[in-house]
Amino acid sequence: MTHKWQRCFFSSSSKQWRIKQITKSNFSRILPQVKERIHGADFICVSSQKTGTFSAPWRRILPIDTPETAYCKSRDAAERFELLHFTVCPITFQGTKVIAYPYNFHLFPRDELNIGMPSYSFSCQTSYLTSMAQEGFDFNTCIYNGISYLSRVQESASKHQNGNCIPTTIPLTSSKPSFADAIFLEGTKSRVKHWRDACKDSSGSSDGALMKSLRKHILGSEVYGTRPCINIDVCTDNQVPLVAKMLNDVADDLVPLIIPHKNGTAKGIRVVLASSQEDRNLLMEEIQTLEEEQNKHFRGFREVIDAMSASCKPIVAYNCLTESAFIHSKFLAHLPSTMAEFMCSLRLVFPCILDVNHLMKSVRPLRKANNLHSALSYIKRQFFAPVEMETPYEVSEDIDVTHGHDVLRIAYVFAKLCSILKIFPSTGQLPIGYRSMMDFENAFYPCCVSIQEPLDAEPTIQIDKNKSKQVSTEDLIFLWGYENGISPDRLRKLLCDVHDAFHGGFQVRIIDDGCAVVGFEKSGSAERFLKDVESGEVESGALLDLIVGGLRVAGYNAYERVCKLGVWEGKLPNSLERALLGEPVASTAKTGMSEEHKSESMMLELSDL
Amino acid sequence: MANPCKSRVFAPLFGSFPSRNFFSHYFSTISIKKVTRNNFTSSFEELRHHVREADFVALDLEMSGITSAPWRESFEFDHSTIRYLKIKDSAEKFAVVQFGVCPFRYDNSTKTLIAYPHSFYIFPRKELPIDFPSCEFLCQTTSIEFLARHQFDFNACIHEGISYLSRAQEAEALHQLGLADVDHLPYSECNPKETREMPLVSFGDILFTERMKIKLSEWRDSLLRNQNCDYHFEENSSNCKLQFRTDFFKMRPSLLLSGFSSHQLRLIQQVIRKHFDDLAFIRINDENSLSQNRIVYTDWKDDRAKLMEEVRKDMQKVTKSKVDAAVGFRHVIDLLSSEGKVIVGHNCLLDIAHVHSKFLGPLPSTLAEFASSIHKLLPYIIDTKRLLISELAIQRLMKKTGTSLSSAFSFLCSQMVSSSDTSSSNSRPFFKVEVLTDEESSSNQSNPGAKHEAGYDAFMTGCVFAQICHLLGIDFSIYKGSDVVEHEKLQKHLNLLYLGWNSGTMVDMKTGQEIAHSTVTNLKKRYPKIQFSNIVLVWGFQKKFKPWEMKDIVTKVLGISSVTSVFYLDETAAFVQFSKEQYVQDFLVLKDTVERESGPLSVLHPLGKLLEGGNTRAAKYDIYKEICSSPLSRVLFADQTEAMGIKWKTKVEIQKLEQADVGEGGSDRKNEVVAEKKILRDGKPHMEGSEDCLSSESILDVLYSSGSLIFKKVRT
Repeated sequence: MTHKWQRCFFSSSSKQWRIKQITKSNFSRILPQVKERIHGADFICVSSQKTGTFSAPWRRILPIDTPETAYCKSRDAAERFELLHFTVCPITFQGTKVIAYPYNFHLFPRDELNIGMPSYSFSCQTSYLTSMAQEGFDFNTCIYNGISYLSRVQESASKHQNGNCIPTTIPLTSSKPSFADAIFLEGTKSRVKHWRDACKDSSGSSDGALMKSLRKHILGSEVYGTRPCINIDVCTDNQVPLVAKMLNDVADDLVPLIIPHKNGTAKGIRVVLASSQEDRNLLMEEIQTLEEEQNKHFRGFREVIDAMSASCKPIVAYNCLTESAFIHSKFLAHLPSTMAEFMCSLRLVFPCILDVNHLMKSVRPLRKANNLHSALSYIKRQFFAPVEMETPYEVSEDIDVTHGHDVLRIAYVFAKLCSILKIFPSTGQLPIGYRSMMDFENAFYPCCVSIQEPLDAEPTIQIDKNKSKQVSTEDLIFLWGYENGISPDRLRKLLCDVHDAFHGGFQVRIIDDGCAVVGFEKSGSAERFLKDVESGEVESGALLDLIVGGLRVAGYNAYERVCKLGVWEGKLPNSLERALLGEPVASTAKTGMSEEHKSESMMLELSDL
Repeated sequence: MANPCKSRVFAPLFGSFPSRNFFSHYFSTISIKKVTRNNFTSSFEELRHHVREADFVALDLEMSGITSAPWRESFEFDHSTIRYLKIKDSAEKFAVVQFGVCPFRYDNSTKTLIAYPHSFYIFPRKELPIDFPSCEFLCQTTSIEFLARHQFDFNACIHEGISYLSRAQEAEALHQLGLADVDHLPYSECNPKETREMPLVSFGDILFTERMKIKLSEWRDSLLRNQNCDYHFEENSSNCKLQFRTDFFKMRPSLLLSGFSSHQLRLIQQVIRKHFDDLAFIRINDENSLSQNRIVYTDWKDDRAKLMEEVRKDMQKVTKSKVDAAVGFRHVIDLLSSEGKVIVGHNCLLDIAHVHSKFLGPLPSTLAEFASSIHKLLPYIIDTKRLLISELAIQRLMKKTGTSLSSAFSFLCSQMVSSSDTSSSNSRPFFKVEVLTDEESSSNQSNPGAKHEAGYDAFMTGCVFAQICHLLGIDFSIYKGSDVVEHEKLQKHLNLLYLGWNSGTMVDMKTGQEIAHSTVTNLKKRYPKIQFSNIVLVWGFQKKFKPWEMKDIVTKVLGISSVTSVFYLDETAAFVQFSKEQYVQDFLVLKDTVERESGPLSVLHPLGKLLEGGNTRAAKYDIYKEICSSPLSRVLFADQTEAMGIKWKTKVEIQKLEQADVGEGGSDRKNEVVAEKKILRDGKPHMEGSEDCLSSESILDVLYSSGSLIFKKVRT
């Protein structure tokens, strides 16, 4: 399919778009250029290729998902799968022309530093890999030459693991040293003084080799580069600033460096003796560059993410929730447990994110388009949106036309949408008749939750083409254990008369093999039905038969629990069963959840199921 | 051999080569047949022949990973149940990416052993329209890197890997597709669901229906008028070409429909159902899963039923062949099983577990069931690692050389070289191994053999086996086929596999019994004998907690001689082995008590440091089994238990305190708990004799106070 799509895509744009391919070998060469382009861009489009998207059909983000459950699903996917390609495309608008510089980064979570990071293992979805292979994906390039990376949290955690000296900019504490510390400091002070004098003294003299080694042995002096140094062991972390202060008092040619312990605490302090003030500055500079070099090595590809973050440019992506969950999980930190925390954390790094899906939903006829392809062909047919996009790359070895096209599609659709929605594609003064992109930022489809707005903003979407109705999560129930392979229509007929709750009108959607969702039109019906089934006060024989036949029912809170606790089974019924079993602790969570639930009951639609 | 053999590499394991370098260089030029889905069918036929002729077949697998979390690695502290659970977890989670098969045949005339090394690239591609739950597999980053270092071709694996179905999956597929076909079949007839009337809403539909009615009756009439009339109909609507073409289907005149949309096809069906009794609409999926839609003319009603039956049979045949094709690589396993050859592997229990989970069915929950299931599939398995370790003659020869495959291979072979040099006159003839690859493969479809390519590893394993047999005085010219296992010297090693990667325990695949290996001489006795009942698992302590502190703290409380050893699973978990079983209980109760105490004692108590952070949990060794059998795998042990939903802090005897903790359950039970605690308190004499332990008085106080606390709880 994708091939066909590509062809049709290319035929529309007269010339072939070029994409720069970046691997381990040319990364450091191209990085400055990438940073420059990011800095000069209006928007930055991103897309990625992963090793999978969802582990079971029901674990996709479905229309029955609230922002919270959708986030739980995205979080699970982001933690489970790995990124293989990350495509960054800074774009600038020049009237109707869009200049795009797509860079496709090949990634692999190689353990470059031998510290078990960035990832111990990852999952692969076979069907996904197969379809990638059909599109000509080159796995060897990724695995052999992919760029590695560490997330921000991993970087700070790993720094002390590999035992390098990090120059101390230890804050000088004013706290008084304890008695024990004072004794320790006195002892150390005299030792350092003695050593320093000895070093200064011996620098001119011409001792024999034996004398030198003896002195070295007695003083415990070592060499750091070309300069002499001495190691001081510390017992606790709070001795570190004390020692630093003491060294500062002794002389200004001493540079303290922390020797970290494996678990992150300081094991000791290495005191390096510089020969003069200039030499000290030189040493500090040396250490600075060394550290930068090391940091670069640590961050790897994350340099690009950091550059994107530092530029504060709006980020444009498709399926933003999943995409940003991946970015957060791989390059920033572990994903927090709730959507709100996640959005806050993400906003600190990327203040403005635009979701192409959300923009598409703002164009009424595009609401039904569920992928970029159909959206683009619809736009082409129905709208006059003159947008021309070009990728002004010279032909060179890094250029390819096969990998990382998604980002160009996103950029193209985004540019068209900007033109249709009259979004002013820059932060400057808003011309009359244009809308600011602020109206659209940080709203992710399908959750449409924006940070600025309160969480209870209710998305309104249609259920059916004909009748437009919304269902509150409170009026949803899950059914399973009915006759296998039954069609929704027959299930509907079956349910019609089993309980009077169904008399008020309801809809049925099959959402997983052997599991259906029923949305009641009259509020309170769901609760009534659940209560009756639970208590066993069933009047109708038909319902009794169904229950005896294995029919099981659960409310929406069971589904929420499934997502929240991560009870990810292959089939939704199994997950629901496990969630219903629930441990005693979970039962308290249940009550808490249902309360919270009342305050923000979500309106959902069952369309697209 | 029947096959024309162009590339013949003689790799004599004896005689004339003076140096090891030369020798290893010689072997590195061996070419391995690379089999992907493009050449699988032809290669399989050849392999079938080779296996049939073979005396034994060596296997080796390359996987996408070994352990799904660091704490799932094989430890010396592992009980054999745990070892199996770990193997099971590994085999279930990871994929096999390359399968090396190397049949060896002894040629009596030339006195050489002939090897046919094959490397099969396999990938669990979805070939059938069925979702199996195992559509996902795990990759361990380090394993993938390792494969990459040895030039593994991932593209070949994913693009061209041979797919497979396990026996269980095949049965499931046949079942599901068999059912599905009834639904799919000529849907006008068999499926009542589809007979629902479709209302003609749009004007276009009405027009189309009318036109089809006319065209079809024209066609039928022309058939009736003249049996050989060639009716052709074409219509160009907007962009695609709609057409009918007349041909014959099952000896009946039919119209082949092409270019119609599914909606239009449904309308046509409706027309036929309503207006034409003698026409049948049929949809067939052929082998290439292209679907054909036809309208077939039938003379009378019985003929129609007959036609439908024929079509159904055809469809079933197609389904069967499709499933058969999807079985793919498993045909090789079926072949090995049906031929009943001796299977040789090196430290191969994990490989065998993979064979079970990928090609037989889900792994059973116990080792014994696993063994019996495998024994039915592969009745003769020999592990060369077992031979290397337990045969004293070979031990003596190899001295301190490791028992890894590559070191055994290079050592055994070079040993042959030198020994035959020194005593060339009276030495027994050593095996000569000849590697044969067929013509086609020598050109482009073979890899030069390299270490950690499955085919080459299988070849090395087979060579090592042959040399060991030779050293043991087993003559392949006497034993033919699997008779070789009847030899008394092999008999005692047959079907004995090592459990885990570093253990001394073995499993007898024939009986499912575990055997403690006593003759292992080179396994270091790093730990004193392990008493599982004396072990407590402690986890969730803070990361800054230093390894040596554990023993310190525990001995401070329970006495200096209480702790035998401490073993760290990872940075968040440790096993503490006590010298007496009683200490286990004491430790757990004490921990529980200190935890409950919120006063200053909890801070001052030596255990306070261990409990810092409030997430330190402890339980008996059994909990490790439970945790290992969980399908989840988090990198850190503490995260794992959290993900599993373990909420309690301490799992004390019979789990009753835990319930008191939660605050649920009847009050009778709580009384029991208290009673139990009382007993413990009374029998607490083991504190004496160690100066640095906390005074027994204060501990008693704690126990008392907590005891009364519980009493209060019960009463209120």
